[in-house]
Amino acid sequence: MTISRKCVPFTPFEGELDRATIAIVTAGGVHLREQDPFNIADELGDLSYRVIPEEVDTKQLVVTHHHYDHSDADEDVNVVFPIDVLRDLQALGFIHGIARKHVGYMGYTMQLKAMYEGTAPQIANEIDKGSRADAVVLTGG
Amino acid sequence: MKGIPTVLITVSPEVSAQMRPPRALYPNGFKIGNSLGKPGMRELQQKVLRDALLLLKENTRPGTIVTQDYPEYGEYHEPPRVRK
Repeated sequence: MTISRKCVPFTPFEGELDRATIAIVTAGGVHLREQDPFNIADELGDLSYRVIPEEVDTKQLVVTHHHYDHSDADEDVNVVFPIDVLRDLQALGFIHGIARKHVGYMGYTMQLKAMYEGTAPQIANEIDKGSRADAVVLTGG
Repeated sequence: MKGIPTVLITVSPEVSAQMRPPRALYPNGFKIGNSLGKPGMRELQQKVLRDALLLLKENTRPGTIVTQDYPEYGEYHEPPRVRK
């Protein structure tokens, strides 16, 4: 198995979970129904991402991804994008808040360099600027 | 930017390990498309998300993936393997 030679980008988490605001970034192809779907026709993958707002109703969310079976996510998007679950944990006092912005993208690409050097920093910037997240939960499909 | 702490929930641990995520949880045997469990299993979903968030507070070794059993999931799926 080839291990990444890049160093592990470890950022310490300081503070307490019950004071923390959490964002979700999913590679599971989740986006708002009204947003453009990911381009599954492009064999190289789609490098774009969609911002999902804090107050989203999960009924507004759909999945566009052709590299995993998302029929369960179609039924309950929380299996890959646990926004309602995060709300539960907030109600229980386990976390403090839900970030203002969350991100969905399609975690399949043949353009790794563009994903690593373009999309990933753009998503990080999106979260860093204006989401108020103290930490991020990442999910795949 | 000073960096944002992250924790990954993965159902493809070998594949994810190649990228050496700073913190990661593998719910043992969950199938692809079920990162948090099955539809409607809200208590299980809460448990998985809580365990993932707790990794932010634990002194895990960066680059390793923590495997956690959730018998209530009720199934076991072999995760995809990486060709060595």
